[in-house]
Amino acid sequence: MKECIFETENLVYSYSTKQAKPSLDNVSVEIHKGVRTAILGANGAGKSTLFYHFNGIFKPVSGTVKYMGKPLEYTREALTELRNDISVVVQNPDEQIFSATVEEDIAFGPMNMGMERDEIERRIQESLFKVGMEEYRERPTIQLSYGQRKRVALAGALAISPKVLILDEPTAGLDPQMSQEVIELVEQLCEAGTTVIISTHDVDLAYAWAEEIHVLIHGDLVYSGEPEPFFDDHEKVAMTGLVMPHTFSVNSSVQRICGREVAPYPRTNSQILCKMLPEGSRIGKIRLVPVEDSLPDVPAEGLPTGIYGAITRRLFRAAGREPDYHFNAIEYCLMDAVGGKDSVLFCDAPMKDRVLEVIGRMEAFGKKVEVVM
Amino acid sequence: MTVIQTDNIVYYYEGASKPSMDGVSITIKKGVKTVILGSNGAGKSTLFYHFNGVVKPKSGTVKVMGKPVSYRKKDLRELRSKVAVVLQNPDDQIFGQTVEGDVGYGPRNMKLPEEEVKERVDEALFQTGLGEFREKNTMQLSYGQRKRLALAGALAMKPEVLIMDEPTAGLDPQMALELMELAEQLHHNGTTIVISTHDVDLAYAWADEIHVLKRGKLIYSGTSEGFYRDSAAVHSTGVMQPSMFVMNENLARMRESDPAPYPRTESQLISKMASGPKGGLEIVLVDGELGDSVHAALKGGRKTGVFGTVVRRLVSDSEKKADYMFNGFEACAGECLMGRDSVLLCDRDCLDLVKAKIEDLKAFGTDISYNVNG
Repeated sequence: MKECIFETENLVYSYSTKQAKPSLDNVSVEIHKGVRTAILGANGAGKSTLFYHFNGIFKPVSGTVKYMGKPLEYTREALTELRNDISVVVQNPDEQIFSATVEEDIAFGPMNMGMERDEIERRIQESLFKVGMEEYRERPTIQLSYGQRKRVALAGALAISPKVLILDEPTAGLDPQMSQEVIELVEQLCEAGTTVIISTHDVDLAYAWAEEIHVLIHGDLVYSGEPEPFFDDHEKVAMTGLVMPHTFSVNSSVQRICGREVAPYPRTNSQILCKMLPEGSRIGKIRLVPVEDSLPDVPAEGLPTGIYGAITRRLFRAAGREPDYHFNAIEYCLMDAVGGKDSVLFCDAPMKDRVLEVIGRMEAFGKKVEVVM
Repeated sequence: MTVIQTDNIVYYYEGASKPSMDGVSITIKKGVKTVILGSNGAGKSTLFYHFNGVVKPKSGTVKVMGKPVSYRKKDLRELRSKVAVVLQNPDDQIFGQTVEGDVGYGPRNMKLPEEEVKERVDEALFQTGLGEFREKNTMQLSYGQRKRLALAGALAMKPEVLIMDEPTAGLDPQMALELMELAEQLHHNGTTIVISTHDVDLAYAWADEIHVLKRGKLIYSGTSEGFYRDSAAVHSTGVMQPSMFVMNENLARMRESDPAPYPRTESQLISKMASGPKGGLEIVLVDGELGDSVHAALKGGRKTGVFGTVVRRLVSDSEKKADYMFNGFEACAGECLMGRDSVLLCDRDCLDLVKAKIEDLKAFGTDISYNVNG
């Protein structure tokens, strides 16, 4: 039995009494602790409205919201305590950044929690490091670009070390590499035990990442569970303003054409290719190099090299080393493996288990990828 | 033929230490689907502002339709009727109080007769699906609706070049598909379309030619593949390789075959990956109303898709919906690939476009047999 971190029961919310249909209409949803969760739905389906109920900004017109099994209380003290646990990063960073400088903005949360100066200092450094904005610490926030402001808003949320991090369209408006960096960061937080909930329009991202999805349409919750049964229901998908993820539809079509079972469902391109490999194909090995606080002296032997994680990324940069795969490196190394080529993957030591898990999944698609430590 | 050409343009924003445009010479060709790529702050929007004369280069020249841009008020008005820019944030562009007032603003500014203004407003609202909102206050619209309104305002100018900055950003996936289909239809009917986007998958599916900017410099112009093959260059620009490109490269490597032809659409990729008996496609042409053949098709039996602005509106307003209201061609092609017959309800002016798509699939080993009805 999965433990619920949030649970709403018959939640109803309207912004105005004149609304013909409430913005959330009897929503009963269970968000599970430690489960990668995505909330999907078209513009105006109620995703943000639901988020604002999780951190108590909105109080339901009727119905209840429970956090860790306890109904939310809307007293000032209770809400302050709640928000020490839960960070919401809104889509538009300008709604979230209030201070004049980057460091002040990030210090805001920890100060409110009454932390000591040293601790606040540590949190500022750590969260700026995580979002790759250390050099911007003293900058006026108004001088930052959109992508930078988006990362400062995220750093501010991380600074309180939340138990739950809720991200509304975290990659919208970011360029592709920055998006990948944010996704990598999210992976690290999940691995460290934070429950992360994301809302997004990007079905490809959601499908690759989420273990559970919840789908809203005009304030109704129409689906909760694993992504596959939802995306397999074409009519339902069409109703919600969404589309099928590419990986899902390519796999479904290819397997049907070949007269094979559609399952198991690949979530990545390398898994799709793995399913198509002929018997007896050579599979490349991945040499995995966990990185603590210095770069191990591992000769690349002319093999393609990937990096994964903020520490590894920083150390490579400091050493002036150019990897072949800067972003999405696990996937690129797996693609190499499927193509019969060996590769080297440097990853932050705390992410080792996660990387092994992702590599291990290939077995479900027909081939085992050997890892050399 | 060239529609826009810049020669060595340099531009500094007030107080900036580095130029935002640093000697850019770019050529935008007529009828070529063009995408401008680059990370945040690379200069994409600044370049667009040079195209419609909002910004005047500190040095260098901008030519539109072969003529250097004149920055006199009267000439700029004429320029902007030829080159329309749709900004990323619709709120920077919407000034009218009502939807129809906003859309009519440009044509009225062009001193067109009121009858023509009304005609253009009607058409633009229809194309963007905003017909029912025409009398609404612009403040009451949702983000997606405001985004479409900004586009409608540009369409009402009947521009020769339509430039869209991040047209799908913030739209839900179906709306994004609808918008790209409209762009395809406009392109097919002769408008040159230039798009900037962060969505490399979208860019790859759409572009005939890409231009890549990096810190105010143009570092690449040419085919998508030529750029994406150079992974060091891709990395240095903040961009990623499109998923379809990576997939195809690895598929080719796995099979020890040539990566060309390069698939840009799902049906092309699937054709390369697997092959079986094909279903047939019936194309039903639609003009102003849904005829008997359409109603017969919608009654069932085969899966139905729609392609084109007119048919989508008509089917949306009718009682029976098509199975695939978005991305209809791809969906029907997918049905054919899986050996099932399907029907594509298609705007008459899109027939050649659909035929070209069917023709394109042949290079990937899929020959769809079709008949045209109507």
